[in-house]
Amino acid sequence: MALRPASRSRAEDAQAPPFPSGAWVHDALLAGDPGAPCLLLGRSPVTRGELTCLVDKQQHLLELSGLRPRGSVALQLPPSVEYIATLLAAWRAGAQVSLLDHRLVRREVDNALERLAPQIVVTARSATAAPMAGYARVVAEATERAGGRPAATPHVLIQLSSGSTGPSKIIARTAADLTGELGRYAQLDEYPKRGERIVLLASIVHVLGLVGGLLHGLHAGVQLAFPDRLTADGIRDAVAIGAEPTVVLGVPFHAELLTAGGSPLPQLSRMVVAGELIRPWLPGAFTARYGVPLGTMYGMTELGVIATDLDGRHHPGVAPAPGMSLRVSDGELLVKMPASPYIGLVDDTRWVDGWLRTRDAATIDQATGLVTILGRLDSQISVGGLKVDLTEVEQTLCALPQVDSAVVTYGTVIEAYLVLRAGASVSDVESALADQLAPYKRPRELHVLDRLPRTATGKISRDRTVLGAAAGTSPAVGP
Amino acid sequence: MTTPGREPITRADVIAVLAALGDRAAADVTERIGSLELAWLVSQVEQRYDTTLELTDETVRQMSTVTGAVVTLRELLPGAGDG
Repeated sequence: MALRPASRSRAEDAQAPPFPSGAWVHDALLAGDPGAPCLLLGRSPVTRGELTCLVDKQQHLLELSGLRPRGSVALQLPPSVEYIATLLAAWRAGAQVSLLDHRLVRREVDNALERLAPQIVVTARSATAAPMAGYARVVAEATERAGGRPAATPHVLIQLSSGSTGPSKIIARTAADLTGELGRYAQLDEYPKRGERIVLLASIVHVLGLVGGLLHGLHAGVQLAFPDRLTADGIRDAVAIGAEPTVVLGVPFHAELLTAGGSPLPQLSRMVVAGELIRPWLPGAFTARYGVPLGTMYGMTELGVIATDLDGRHHPGVAPAPGMSLRVSDGELLVKMPASPYIGLVDDTRWVDGWLRTRDAATIDQATGLVTILGRLDSQISVGGLKVDLTEVEQTLCALPQVDSAVVTYGTVIEAYLVLRAGASVSDVESALADQLAPYKRPRELHVLDRLPRTATGKISRDRTVLGAAAGTSPAVGP
Repeated sequence: MTTPGREPITRADVIAVLAALGDRAAADVTERIGSLELAWLVSQVEQRYDTTLELTDETVRQMSTVTGAVVTLRELLPGAGDG
């Protein structure tokens, strides 16, 4: 890692709040048999001892660059051993780390750094990866950022919300919160245990892959395998590489990829997906092909894992994870949380009186306690005093035979961004909608796109700025 | 799709594979291929032709459109070239 020196004033340090030492990194993540392989990149193992040496090296380089306890680091590296070692090194040095997806473009990164004001930014000076590989080999570079500030809060992890709904929020988590989530995973009987292996397909920058994959693996002594290729055969090869019972951790797309072909794998004990709702036929089809369950998890960046159905027995229901208290209020799922997860909160209705409003519609079966997630809820608006559920509008649009996919938003009027099926026209859609929705519910504008824009994590974007930019190259048609 | 290893892959084959992702009609497959679609396409072709495609950064880049994918797959698939 290349270095540029940083400097900070004593006054800045004196004003900072108490911050946890980095001892938790050793205790919770690095302690263990130094000879045991903890990572597997393709067929190349990295032992716990080797990883610890890399962490030592990265911490030394970060400290040479000026990083001190309570310092702040932004990390923007592709999935790699260097990413893992630098993250652990910065934490162990007692720093607050902001994670930025390596796929963000310059404008997005600049905006994030402006808001986060880290003292040191770690990026890839060079990165090489085989085509479609699940990991990269990186030469990292640490750069002092002018105007950077030390940690202003005792949080060790800072993440930006996906931005799929409005402006991104700054989400902060403490070391105690992270180790608490690791404790929840440890109590899940069906989640991978010591001596087992996770084939990790979910991004280690985001909460599922980061805590449910990377940190759990290190904490629990579960080997983490990163496939040489993120294809169906590549994933199956990663499962078959050793004899250990293996769980594949990914998103629903990965399950669809594996379900489309292949034979049962003796090592495969289950697949677990999260991140979005799965299509109803998928669990049955996956189990029919592989003879093992397709489990699901529900979680949020703010809290990590909230509820699970790891055996696929309750689909589409999920059971609250140990220690999680959930309730439904006005159709919205609320999760008990002792403190707000947000820094610089813009929307102060998201965390109220010890409950985090998830903005997900849900039901709870009072007899079993199982939760069924129905979809996003932050979509009800008022038009002239009349309540309109944008989800209803969107689902109605998507169900039309003329429409391939659609997103409905509300700024000053209801707008729809949609991809038409072949041969369909905007007037066809308008005619069909007139049969389906009351006039006040109908979109004022229909923007036809070739495809809906997605966030860096692959979710369909609901950011009106992004959608509007995409529509700039396509006709916008009013009824 | 055609018999593995004997017939050159066609545009209709590629579109049919892509359409299966999301249960779309062939007419709804766009010319541009996204990263998830590419992973799906490569996986399906490798499985059906029982081969591992020798991908490079360049071939992956070429497969970002349906047209490019057809040309590239014809070059990559053993015994399935159109010459």
